[in-house]
Amino acid sequence: MLIALFTIMILGGSSTATLAFIADTQDSVKIVMVKDDRQKEALSTLKAMKKRTNARNKHLKRASKGIYKVLRQDVINTADIDAIWTGYFAEIDQYDHDMLDLRWELKEHINREEWEEIFSGD
Amino acid sequence: MSDRTLSLKSAMLFAAIACAVAGCASKDDVSPADVEKQAFEDLRTEIRAVIDDPAREGEAIALVNELSEDLNALREKIGQRRQRVRELNADYDTTRADFEAYFDKVDREIRWNKRQVSEKHREFLTIMTPDERSAIAKTHSKARDAAIRNIQTI
Repeated sequence: MLIALFTIMILGGSSTATLAFIADTQDSVKIVMVKDDRQKEALSTLKAMKKRTNARNKHLKRASKGIYKVLRQDVINTADIDAIWTGYFAEIDQYDHDMLDLRWELKEHINREEWEEIFSGD
Repeated sequence: MSDRTLSLKSAMLFAAIACAVAGCASKDDVSPADVEKQAFEDLRTEIRAVIDDPAREGEAIALVNELSEDLNALREKIGQRRQRVRELNADYDTTRADFEAYFDKVDREIRWNKRQVSEKHREFLTIMTPDERSAIAKTHSKARDAAIRNIQTI
């Protein structure tokens, strides 16, 4: 338990993909938007967001496994942990950047009224 | 409280979880927080059983207590971040600079958290011998296994 605890604490939790929820709004988009080319484009962008989040989750899984493996060793090399963490942190930054790009792409397909209705629960 | 009493308590807690999952929930339902609390208690019991030196045992228990508090604080912080990002996103007029400023703030928090946890991990390595760490890592309890699954979703 201690090793699992240190692993997740070092990574700062596994739910750092804070923009991932946007990709889960396909159903709302289908309800709120008229079925036309704009809706098609919006759904395509949401699909891209989902794909990017999945790639990010795979990266997290690899980092988590890597740190767990290092922490299980009798002699622990903290430089190994730092190297994994640095790679993971860079991925968090890149993920946020990519998701913001996709969010702005999504806004090009959705007008203000639709946006407010789709995200009214937030 | 004896080890046997704690083990029984842990087993009863797990039975209650299984019951809740099976649909026989009652007013005595066990929450994930209860499971985690029991898991940390099991961990403290194991530390007491494995470390013979009272001074180091005390240090290890104190460290586990701190980690438990840190875990709760991290969970709360992540909840706040999710909520804030949802608020920013819901506002059609939020600028990219608003998002980036918030993510920069979160990045600083993540870096600070890493330094703090690394420091505690170094402390942990100096308190326990490799054999003691290995002995604790090998033991399992149902509450601890359930808590690990909870922790991994934070």
